[in-house]
Amino acid sequence: MSVLEPLQNSEWTPAAAAHLLSRAGFGGSPREVEALHGRGLDGAVDSLLSAPDDADIFPPPDASIPQDLLALRKGMEGKSAEEKRAAQMALRKETQQKMAGLRMWWLDRMRWSPFPAREKAVLFWHGHWATSAEKVRDAFPMWQQNETLRAHALGRFEPLAKEISRDPAMMRYLDLVQSKSGKPNENFARELMELFTLGEGHYSEDDVQGGARAFTGYRINPQTQQFLFAARQHDGGSKSFFGFEGNFGGDDIIGFLVADPQCARFLSRKLWVFYGSENPSPELVEALAETYRRENMDTGRLLGAMFRSREFYRPDVRGRQIKGPVQWLVQACKELDLPIPADASGILRQLGQIPFAPPNVKGWDGGRSWISSATLLLRYNIAGRIVNDRRLDADAIIPSSASPATACDALGNRLFQFSMNERLRKSFLTFLEEHPAEKNIRRDVIHLMMSTPDYQLT
Amino acid sequence: MNKTLHTRRRFLRTSILGGAVAWSVPAFLERTFFSLDAMAADSLVPTGKDAPIVVVLQLAGGNDGLNTLVPFADDAYLKARPTLAIRNPLKISDSLGLHPRLTGLRGLYDDGQLGIVQGVGYPNPNRSHFRSTEIWQTASDAKTTESRGWIGRYFDSCCQGADPCVGVSIGSQTPQAFAAAEPKGISFSKPEQFRFASETTSDPAAAEAFFRNTNEPASDSNDGGSIGMLQGPSGGDGDSLDFLRRTALDAQMSSDKVLEITRKSQSQVPYPSSNLATSLNLIARLIGGGLPTRVYYVGQGGFDTHSNQAGSHERLLGELDSAIGAFTADLKAQGNFDRVVLMTFSEFGRRVAENGSGGTDHGAAAPLFVLGGAVKPGLYGTTPSLTDLKNGDVQHNVDFRSVYATVLANWLKVPVEPILHRSFPTLDFV
Repeated sequence: MSVLEPLQNSEWTPAAAAHLLSRAGFGGSPREVEALHGRGLDGAVDSLLSAPDDADIFPPPDASIPQDLLALRKGMEGKSAEEKRAAQMALRKETQQKMAGLRMWWLDRMRWSPFPAREKAVLFWHGHWATSAEKVRDAFPMWQQNETLRAHALGRFEPLAKEISRDPAMMRYLDLVQSKSGKPNENFARELMELFTLGEGHYSEDDVQGGARAFTGYRINPQTQQFLFAARQHDGGSKSFFGFEGNFGGDDIIGFLVADPQCARFLSRKLWVFYGSENPSPELVEALAETYRRENMDTGRLLGAMFRSREFYRPDVRGRQIKGPVQWLVQACKELDLPIPADASGILRQLGQIPFAPPNVKGWDGGRSWISSATLLLRYNIAGRIVNDRRLDADAIIPSSASPATACDALGNRLFQFSMNERLRKSFLTFLEEHPAEKNIRRDVIHLMMSTPDYQLT
Repeated sequence: MNKTLHTRRRFLRTSILGGAVAWSVPAFLERTFFSLDAMAADSLVPTGKDAPIVVVLQLAGGNDGLNTLVPFADDAYLKARPTLAIRNPLKISDSLGLHPRLTGLRGLYDDGQLGIVQGVGYPNPNRSHFRSTEIWQTASDAKTTESRGWIGRYFDSCCQGADPCVGVSIGSQTPQAFAAAEPKGISFSKPEQFRFASETTSDPAAAEAFFRNTNEPASDSNDGGSIGMLQGPSGGDGDSLDFLRRTALDAQMSSDKVLEITRKSQSQVPYPSSNLATSLNLIARLIGGGLPTRVYYVGQGGFDTHSNQAGSHERLLGELDSAIGAFTADLKAQGNFDRVVLMTFSEFGRRVAENGSGGTDHGAAAPLFVLGGAVKPGLYGTTPSLTDLKNGDVQHNVDFRSVYATVLANWLKVPVEPILHRSFPTLDFV
């Protein structure tokens, strides 16, 4: 229990609050950091994790209207090959537009939601239950999955897992819709164990085969695009799974997996790596897993324990996480009081993290894999574009009358979570002093601050 | 003195530190380059325009080996693949043929520039994409986990002090194969974006000079640590800030050079419009322009054909074939084809029997291609049996590390054991 002892009140500084806001959410302006700090540690964590509904602020995107695939197919009957091709092209274009709209809708939600911690958790679960529109090829199921993740993001794991196994986007992505009695498709069952609940090496090939049979018969209603259980396609025979024998269905399999202590261990570790640091000690993982199980695998409650723990604020945790592209972009917009740029999708594509299009079912590797010589230079250059957005109000960020030292410290607090390193501070101070008359000096300094290795970290 | 080092040192002085800013070379860098000079005495990496080059082409997702090199005369094949069997392959023997879309590769085979290694895999095959890719990239056994890549270990053991461009990966991610104690290699997809764009600032020259200065490794606070980072065993596992600083430095050192080369060097032949072709086109221009690179890395995705495989696999192999066709023609026109060996690999082949969705599930051993002007043509290894299966999969008869060992020993001419940790029988395709 001592591993997760809480942070002392005396250690709750503005820099600690900035760290929490950046990790639990997407950071914020100095004013938001100061407001969070003012709540005290417990108040701050509670305010972040108690996330009431905010759907009224974000009206549903175009993607929220399902395509009636049956009507669509009927409409094609009797059409010439050319007409069919034209209709398909139009449909593809419409899907692309809806996906672009959905992507902006979610990024806006991360940027503006009063409950950014929930959106951050949705981002975690999107990487966990990775599903790509590249294969799903329809916007509605992608939106629906995003809403499912949101509904359960800070709740219990088991209902989330069961919902996802019936989620049309996931069912298409991992070929569950084609899995039938006699010819089970193993894709979903394997990834369920390898990537979603236990991790590699904690199940056997027999479990994959038994599990695959249990999930046969999962289908989608083409009119409503909702889950449908096709009993005739389901394998009703006896299966063996984890040494148990019985006529198991998909929910039984999920029940077995969630009950395995390895599941809490696997997820706790992954959550810590996402929110905390790259290499948690085995003791820490055990303590987290124990908390997770005790809390009935309620993710919000586990995160609460994490965010209150002293461990989370250690010097080798703070300022040592490489920001993912989504984090980098949303955080930059929050820090600079800017809206999400219109070409956000393009930016994120270049930087290697397109929401709704993870590279594969493992999601994004994160950490150092975000950074290569290519993406690092791209980040620097995109920062230049963001800073040159006309809507950036440099005077509101730092008045032009401020002395170089005041400007340097204020910008440093804003962009480096109240902990800019001394070497950078000296360089920027000199730069500000050497260019006193330059009209755009504040923009230039912001761009240059964002073009440092340090800015890529949080 | 080693020429690359000399260039690197001069480059650092003039370019990174910037003529305009009168910085002296920080003590850290000065000492670092002394140690690099010392290491260079043992450096095994040849530089200059005649050195051998390897291009590694990853077919991500698990390429269906049986429909790539087709055992068309085998009844077991036809039986296992009632809808997916390729019945009209491009025959290269009485029993084997290439997929009909591989016409370019077939041409290379006929010209004596293509080798096909059959049944490549490893003991206790893993059917997870990620784990099996990791095994291939790190050249580990299935039972052990290794964090560094086989190419990264080649850099560590043979390219100390070399230019960061010694490895180039096309794409935005660095492959695990490049992971090293002292990470080397750069990645980028569009050369024109591979530079710091200071022109958006109000005083580009000042911003550029400032930028170069702040992105250079710390000369004060991190002094001793950075030296340790270069030589110590834990270098590649250092702190994330060190990692970012090193990447920033490598990016700067390489970007001027890459830009200059790609501006000057144009391809001599037309390329098709696929991503893979664009990447290979870029590699051909970098080779033509003389970038001191030993290993290029490039990937083609989409091979995870669980459903409706016939059309998608055909399209993928068509793209692969036309891209390689243009690339080899380009290298021949440059006169560089004899310097290059290209090898393909995929994390696994696919199950012998097709599934109920018109696709194939994850399998094990599969063939791979090696090609180049110096490659000795033909079939290597033996054709795997389709009746003696293990868990429904063909069994390997060539360990993939034998292919690596051949490339390392016979082509790059470096000792294999420090890189692969033990010896493997080599093949004689080069």
